[in-house]
Amino acid sequence: MFKNYFKTAFRNIVKHKSLSFLHITGLGVSIASCLLIFTVVKYELSYDTFQPNYQRIYHVVSQTSTEDGINYTPGVPFPALDALQLDFPQVKTGALMASFGSQVTVLLKNNAQKKFIEDKGFFFCDPEFFQIFQYHWLAGSPEDLKAPNVTALSESTAVKYFGNWKDAIGQSLLLDNAQLVKVTGIIQDAPGNTDFPLSIVNSMATAKASNGLYFYDSTWHTTTSNFQVFMLLPQNVSESQINKGLISFSKKNYTENKKNQVLNFLEPLSEVHFDNRFENFGDHITEKSTLWTLSLIALFILVMACINFINLTTAQAVNRSKEMGIRKVLGGNRSQLLWQVIRETFLIVCISVLLGIGLAASCFPFIKNLANISGNVTFLNGQIIFFIFLLVVFITILAGFYPAFILSGFTPVTALKNKVSSATVGGISLRRGLVVLQFSISQILIIGTIVAITQMSFVKNADLGFNKAAVLVINSNTDSTMRDRFATYKQKLLQIPGVKSVSFSSDVPSSQNNWQTNFGFNHQPEPSFPLDVKFADEDYFKTFGLQMIAGRPFGKSDTIHEVVVNETFARKLLIKNPDDIIGKEMRYGGNGPWKTIVGVVKDFKTNSLKESIKPLAIAERKDQYFVTSVKLNSANISKTRQEIENAWNDYFPNYAFTSNYFEDSINDFYRQDNQLTLLYKIFAFMAILISCLGLYGLVSFMAIQRTKEIGVRKVLGASVQNIIYLFSKEFTILVFIGFIIAIPVSWYIMSHWLDQFVYRIHFSIGIFALAMLLSLVIAWLAVGYKSVKAAWANPVKSLKSE
Amino acid sequence: MIALKNIFKWYNTGINRTFILKDISLNVAEGEFISIMGPSGSGKSTLLHVIGLLDAPNEGSYSFMGENVLALKEKKRSEIFKTHIGFVFQAYHLIDELTVYENIETPLIYQNIKSSERKSMVADILDRFQIVGKKDLFPNQLSGGQQQLVGIARALIVHPKLILADEPTGNLNSKQGTEIMNLFKELNQEGVTIIQVTHSEKNAEYGSRIIELLDGRIVG
Repeated sequence: MFKNYFKTAFRNIVKHKSLSFLHITGLGVSIASCLLIFTVVKYELSYDTFQPNYQRIYHVVSQTSTEDGINYTPGVPFPALDALQLDFPQVKTGALMASFGSQVTVLLKNNAQKKFIEDKGFFFCDPEFFQIFQYHWLAGSPEDLKAPNVTALSESTAVKYFGNWKDAIGQSLLLDNAQLVKVTGIIQDAPGNTDFPLSIVNSMATAKASNGLYFYDSTWHTTTSNFQVFMLLPQNVSESQINKGLISFSKKNYTENKKNQVLNFLEPLSEVHFDNRFENFGDHITEKSTLWTLSLIALFILVMACINFINLTTAQAVNRSKEMGIRKVLGGNRSQLLWQVIRETFLIVCISVLLGIGLAASCFPFIKNLANISGNVTFLNGQIIFFIFLLVVFITILAGFYPAFILSGFTPVTALKNKVSSATVGGISLRRGLVVLQFSISQILIIGTIVAITQMSFVKNADLGFNKAAVLVINSNTDSTMRDRFATYKQKLLQIPGVKSVSFSSDVPSSQNNWQTNFGFNHQPEPSFPLDVKFADEDYFKTFGLQMIAGRPFGKSDTIHEVVVNETFARKLLIKNPDDIIGKEMRYGGNGPWKTIVGVVKDFKTNSLKESIKPLAIAERKDQYFVTSVKLNSANISKTRQEIENAWNDYFPNYAFTSNYFEDSINDFYRQDNQLTLLYKIFAFMAILISCLGLYGLVSFMAIQRTKEIGVRKVLGASVQNIIYLFSKEFTILVFIGFIIAIPVSWYIMSHWLDQFVYRIHFSIGIFALAMLLSLVIAWLAVGYKSVKAAWANPVKSLKSE
Repeated sequence: MIALKNIFKWYNTGINRTFILKDISLNVAEGEFISIMGPSGSGKSTLLHVIGLLDAPNEGSYSFMGENVLALKEKKRSEIFKTHIGFVFQAYHLIDELTVYENIETPLIYQNIKSSERKSMVADILDRFQIVGKKDLFPNQLSGGQQQLVGIARALIVHPKLILADEPTGNLNSKQGTEIMNLFKELNQEGVTIIQVTHSEKNAEYGSRIIELLDGRIVG
């Protein structure tokens, strides 16, 4: 019985080659898309779930309420760790402190050295941290981290430094050319799906003893995102209990500024990867909404493929009505026939699934790269197989049941008399409805894609307020004695042809590392908003092309306390004319020396364009210069760069030369968004393609159905245009209806997405018109070929075959 | 075996009612070979469909082997139909996607007969009709006469008591037609009741009784 059914099913597939091709590729592509999206979403959701205490680990975060709203930071002040341990004895509390871009010098036995810059994964922590987060120690133990100047390496880092992790034990490393540490432990590498990419874990005591090299401040008013505290709650203690305790804890400890109330609260570990209010130590945060959007697209794609299936199968039902009629006459009852059609669907779904798996597997490396999936994530695993199983069942039911119901429902007499037409299949209005649904979905995706592309190019081409072109930024995080060489190093650089200007600073104009502090102005009570501070020398303005709108940049000086502020600073202090602020005094950090404001710089973007411009002060402070920015002539850049590197190596032989172009790091801000946009684009394209396939199938079917009608019309004198019009009219109307549905939905979704950008495009008729035009073109292309072919057919021939 | 009483069948076309069958009463005994004749549109095929339980009349009663089939539930009716009635069509109506063997086998599948049993039943009938060599061919590889032979073999496979044939030779040349009619005669002699619809006087002669239809009424 099964054999007979499958045989018919298989022969049916072979007989209707083009239709089967549409079915199988459409479904296969959609299954591949779903599988890939599922893998990406699952990977993102799996971050740090390998931690045995995942559900009970919390991150202590801070929020500061100001007049402007609430600022969030993932860090807490340094003394908070001890205070928390004291106030919450029932929970385990531990801290992790990161240092980005630290240099590690590996001291080898034969006095040879290897230098590495660790962009991430360089941490300090106490043994308590490892009571909260569990790792497998290949050698040594967390307890060793009680002592100063000891370090533990991850297995891969140990291999990178010493070739074999077993050789690493007992070896010495020089951190940032200042701190000598001994390797006492080896930690097995954590999986790639972690926001705690531990490579080098030094004891916290090392940082405390580093004389400020790692910025260890014992006051309560400095918070850095590099110092984060985590808690492991016992089974019987709830998050809300601790949060309650943290309210009084915050009241007790943050007494510095009455206006800005700081509050600590818990963020579950399960939110660390998703909550974009708080940076994490990993390389990205993925908002849940992003994952939902992707999942939604996957669902869309799947639904579209099912719609195709239903449309094509019911349309084709006419051709199969005879077979169904015969089977009924031969004694097949409705349920037997129903199951036959469902089995056929099942067979097609299975073939499509195989194709889909093949496609997905071959595209996986590409998607893996695009979605930042690291580590050895295999494509096929138990969950995927279960997912595939669910997909098969879901699609078979969704796509198989309705056609099966229609096909099995024919009365044998009408079926045998060939009286079944697409009209009697009853599906016409249903099919139209489904096509409209399909058009709506693809237009939502088209609009979404256009908006995302427009927004990203808007961001890319936005006036940032500074000149990002041809600035080479050299990581110059050196110790204090080395800083004495900066002046002569600068002279050396300026002698290189091709170097226009050189500036030392704490940071580039726009970055995600910000130094925020409270401040005083004009000897008045402290304003309620925090101030961003950047430290830079006098050439900063020239190097980055910052424009002054009042006053002047500060001069070259070691002693005179001059400061430049930005427009937003003046505006926030309600000073209308920027000139009025010149000559006023300000200080930052609550108790620093008073400085004179000598200039107001035109607003430039201090952060990513997702945030608004912050009030900013720029001042000199030599010990805070971590980067050297070199403005280059655009000609012969690589040669100039080589000379700059040579000069660095002459002056700072102990420090590895690492540099990048400012423009690249700016673009990096939007890497996630760009990648996301690319993912959207790819899958939106897939969805549109699938709807085209369906449309094409439907039209080719229609063309066959209407062969006679077209023949008669042509005999009666219809022109080719008339016939094409006949075909396109219906679909054009359907596109319009779909469009009307798509407008509000896409508007709603995309304005939410745009809301996260402070600098954003606004919806215009143009976007909708473009989307409309695109979908019309797509629909016409899909319809065009077949309708032209039908229109050109010789009427004598088409009438004869009837 | 078959007793039709006051059968009416009509379609509503707008406000008019178009009658296909008007007040048909007919008794058929087991072992009869009946030919239904009449011009196009006289209701022959509809009558055959009503007899074959493929179509229900709007009015009247129908008892098949003593059972009032119109009052039966769908399932039971389809059971009677499956086991007692075989259909032969003018256009053969073989399933294009199945081979000769599989076409003949299909009705057995719907009766849930075991695979091994099916095999021997199909083998028997292939043998009897001398089409063993054609069993793996598809319908479009056969001539019209051969296709009709397969159609009849398929109708006979379930050992029906009644064979309903709707112009079985309509698409065949006269030689093939004669062969098929001889086959029907043979079957009838073996005890199978046959009702055929035909246009041809010559074919009608094979039957034991001729029923003439005109405009939905029995006229002779």
